[in-house]
Amino acid sequence: MSETQKARMLEGLAPRPLMPGNPYLPMPARVREIITETATIKTLRVVLEGEGAMERFHFEPGQVAQLSVFGVGEATFVINSPPSQKDYLQFSIMEVGEVTHALHNLSVGEQIGVRAPLGNFFPYEELRGKNIFFIGGGIGMAPVRTIMLHVLEQAKDYGSISLLYGARTPKDMSYQYELDDWLNHRDLHCTLCVDKAPEDWPHREGMIPNVLKELAPSPDNSVAVLCGPPIMIKFTVEALLGLGFAAHDILTTLERRMKCGIGICGRCNVGSRYVCTDGPVFRCDDIQAYL
Amino acid sequence: MSNDRFLAKDALGDFLCHCQGLGYTVYSPQKQEGVRESVVFAPWQKGCEIQLAKATVSPKHLLLPQSEVLFRFRHEKGEEGKSSAVHLEDTSQQAQPTLLFAARPCDARGFTMVDRPYLQGLYADPYYAKRREGLCVLTLCCNSGCESCFCHWTGGGPSSPEGSDILMTDIAEGLVLQAITEKGRKLLAQSDLPEAGAASDQATELRRKAWQSLDKAPDLTEAPHKLKELADNLDFWTEQSRACLSCGACTYVCPTCYCFSISDERRFSGMEEGVRLRSWDTCMARHFTEEASGHNPRALKAQRLQNRISHKYAGYPENWGSFSCSGCGRCVTHCPVGIDIRHIVLAAIALPDTQAKEARS
Amino acid sequence: MPDIAKTERRIVGFLCNWCSYGGADTAGVARANQPTDLRIIRVPCSGRVNPLFVVRALLHGADGVLVSGCHPRDCHYSTGNFYARRRLELLKHFLPILGIDPARFAYTWVSASEGQRWQHVVTRFTEEIHALEPAPHFEELEPLYLSQRQSTEPKRPFMPQPPDLLAKLKEEIRTHLPELDCVLGWQKGRDALHAVPFFLRQEEDLERLSLDATCHNSLVRYLPEYKGKKVGIIVRGCESRALVELLQEGLIAREDLHIFAIPCHGLLDVARLEEELGRYQHLENLVIEQDSLRITVDGKERSFSPQAFLRSTCLGCASDEPVLADTCLGSFTAGESTPVTAPELALLDGLNLTERLRFWRGVMDRCIRCYSCRNSCPMCVCHDHCIAESRQPHWQSAEHSVTEKFFFQIIHALHLAGRCTGCGECQTNCPVGIPIFALRAHLNRVIAELFSGYQAGRDAQAVPPLLSYMVDEANIQEREWQ
Repeated sequence: MSETQKARMLEGLAPRPLMPGNPYLPMPARVREIITETATIKTLRVVLEGEGAMERFHFEPGQVAQLSVFGVGEATFVINSPPSQKDYLQFSIMEVGEVTHALHNLSVGEQIGVRAPLGNFFPYEELRGKNIFFIGGGIGMAPVRTIMLHVLEQAKDYGSISLLYGARTPKDMSYQYELDDWLNHRDLHCTLCVDKAPEDWPHREGMIPNVLKELAPSPDNSVAVLCGPPIMIKFTVEALLGLGFAAHDILTTLERRMKCGIGICGRCNVGSRYVCTDGPVFRCDDIQAYL
Repeated sequence: MSNDRFLAKDALGDFLCHCQGLGYTVYSPQKQEGVRESVVFAPWQKGCEIQLAKATVSPKHLLLPQSEVLFRFRHEKGEEGKSSAVHLEDTSQQAQPTLLFAARPCDARGFTMVDRPYLQGLYADPYYAKRREGLCVLTLCCNSGCESCFCHWTGGGPSSPEGSDILMTDIAEGLVLQAITEKGRKLLAQSDLPEAGAASDQATELRRKAWQSLDKAPDLTEAPHKLKELADNLDFWTEQSRACLSCGACTYVCPTCYCFSISDERRFSGMEEGVRLRSWDTCMARHFTEEASGHNPRALKAQRLQNRISHKYAGYPENWGSFSCSGCGRCVTHCPVGIDIRHIVLAAIALPDTQAKEARS
Repeated sequence: MPDIAKTERRIVGFLCNWCSYGGADTAGVARANQPTDLRIIRVPCSGRVNPLFVVRALLHGADGVLVSGCHPRDCHYSTGNFYARRRLELLKHFLPILGIDPARFAYTWVSASEGQRWQHVVTRFTEEIHALEPAPHFEELEPLYLSQRQSTEPKRPFMPQPPDLLAKLKEEIRTHLPELDCVLGWQKGRDALHAVPFFLRQEEDLERLSLDATCHNSLVRYLPEYKGKKVGIIVRGCESRALVELLQEGLIAREDLHIFAIPCHGLLDVARLEEELGRYQHLENLVIEQDSLRITVDGKERSFSPQAFLRSTCLGCASDEPVLADTCLGSFTAGESTPVTAPELALLDGLNLTERLRFWRGVMDRCIRCYSCRNSCPMCVCHDHCIAESRQPHWQSAEHSVTEKFFFQIIHALHLAGRCTGCGECQTNCPVGIPIFALRAHLNRVIAELFSGYQAGRDAQAVPPLLSYMVDEANIQEREWQ
């Protein structure tokens, strides 16, 4: 048995909020608000049904949910509102397949199903005192948003906090209504970039890994937290390693096709780890071989 | 003093009837005609022929049916035909007690391997738990090895008791029944089967001979480590998977493959009602991990074979402390192109450490 | 649907938008009396009607299905109904082998002005359906299990491969290997009885090359995976036809192939030999001779007649001449292949419709939906994008019902109509021994009857019968509706 294996067996799974009851049975929830972010991304704000359901629901930043449209199916999304938001749960959904198409067609007031919270979360306690460099690519900004807002709520406990948020074009950027807040936030160094910039674009132009190299954040006492499409993760991790970040200090969330969400159905595993229970948040040294 | 009981061959039917009387649905191996005979575990009824042959397909469907309803849903329609409320009916507690007659030790051990992720993980699976609780397993020991099975490689054997409630040994004129669990003891106590007496010694002797008949098993201690080293060695897996057809024969006949899919099925007319189904799925198919975006982390059959073999001999052992292969050999016999899991594991072990690392591409 | 138990039957009508739907409308406007059993689905053209629509309706409880389009030469899209006519006529001949009464299905032509003709057709068809029993519920039928063992003598006597053939083949491959990415052949698998595909890349591999009557896998199945690479392949007569079919469909390129053709006098049905041998630990020896097959297992020699253990697909084979070859080894038997009914099909031919449906109800129940039938089929070229697993369109439910399992076999068979070269790999590789080749064999028989003896894989330049039509079909007798 290797040392990492031993360490892992001792460490076990981090305690986390779990679903009660039959884990396959969704909780009823209702769509409260729909925000059109881009041509392909909508943000749904949903409220769990039932007396006190929202108050009883606890989760940690980074945990995910399976959203059901009954008759169509289920798909996994990160809860991208911070845990302090008790009025609703927020999900940003890019329309790509059957379920996301059905989610995009919902109207306010319609009922859906929610299985949550699933998965692990960002180890924000372990990150206290460190500089954090957040990197979000496209829809990958969703999980980053949760942990970033959570960390910003207690900014004094952390070192410098930075964000690099990139998308293909300015039109593909979600959370437009928050970008000014982020750019002007006193505790956040926010950089925006797009692959192809129009003339009036005041921010950076270029692919995330390249812009990152230009920004060249120092790896000293720093942790990088990133999420985005698989190809962006691959090259951004390479760039971070090139800047001197240790693989252990690069945290990423992985997305895989999921069905059960509870570590059984065998779809989302990365080697012996399951994205749905051991993830979605991983330290890069655990999964580098599979990126 | 042994508490073994004796079940004469001509009393098999009566015994199974007795079990039905206790509330069990009885499943036994049954021969079905076709291009060639197939032995399948099917519900036994009085008058059915009693077969003792090893089944073509493992009995795992008694715990994990090929498809099962997770819940039913019904939409209540509001304005403009939009769904205003959804009613869900939980079907997790509907399984009835089942008795499995004449499984083989590899089948029964297979159950223990499926038990761990389904019962001991972060969440217990309520559908599986209910079925498992109601399942009584009567296992027939094998009196010899066979060319394609290798239970003793993976920690089992022709008379290994794991997963069984009662072990049965075929001594020609009848079966010697030995209780393994409390459930098994209770079943034997409730029966009027005679004590086995001297037949018990005969059974012990047969079991010993069965063990002796086996070829020496290779040492698989290094398998998890070697397979982990080989995880991203695409050349190795491309070579091993060249003939693979990406069908699901290996996974569906396997007693320990437990992957599934979940999908919603609507009734014919629109959105009013339907079911959420869980159904067998195979990691050897490309669509298994294909995401809606088109991205597929296991797009190549080499990657899928790597995942299947490594799950059984590296990933699962890392998580649960045992191989998840009971060595039944069904994947070997039923693979249309003869891919042999034994050869792959041995090839991985035979690869020197340095080579495994260097060959990484 | 309302309660239809006594007075009505479930009849589905697929009507083309331009003619027949208009015809039905005309009949309605004229207040012509019509039975009310028919439920109409409007389609753009009768050519849009996939025969699987019809089978699906019938399997799921429809008592009858009627397809109606524009008259031949009147199609809004010029030729849609010509193609439809071929497909629907084929379907009419296909239904009986499933155990479905072909009287439950009809197709016809009604123009927009022919309100009266519409009234006549729909009244007549409805009467005919009422004259039949309500459609049987497939799932509720009592299964019928029948033993199917070969009884036909092979057309050509079995012979083992000549002893020097392998050596000659090795020499030829050795010569050509340097210019090839790999050569597809066979080697021994876990023992002498079990051969497996082999991908030769270097000269050392030649030692492991094997060639005898146990080498059953069709290597043609792999060719599309090697598109763009130059590969060699060893083929027998029947396999060369599968290769031709792929060439015909443009899925492989002739210039990428080096074809080593070998003679063949029959392949062994290894599964049935396994059944005879029973459980064994070691297979020590296998000797294949013209009239004796000797297998030594666990120290005991067993002897069989190879003639009695030939694969059913080999029984009717009259010629092993390859359609295409670059290197021919050995001597081939020429001959015209006259149809011989495969034993699994002969078994079904001897049953009535209800028995056939009960037969399928029995054998399909144990299908595990592993799709090795599909994945080993050299003609199944959509592999990873099959409609069996697609949700959009949602042809198949994930529910493991015997209807869904049977329906997949029907999908497979109909998608192979006019393309199947009869290799039988689908059936050989079924882990639970379901005689599914019967469906393909029957369709091949129907194709030959309807389309002037057409056989797939004989000519790379030929146009497949379902991709062409004749304005006046020689062998299709359309119904008159008198």
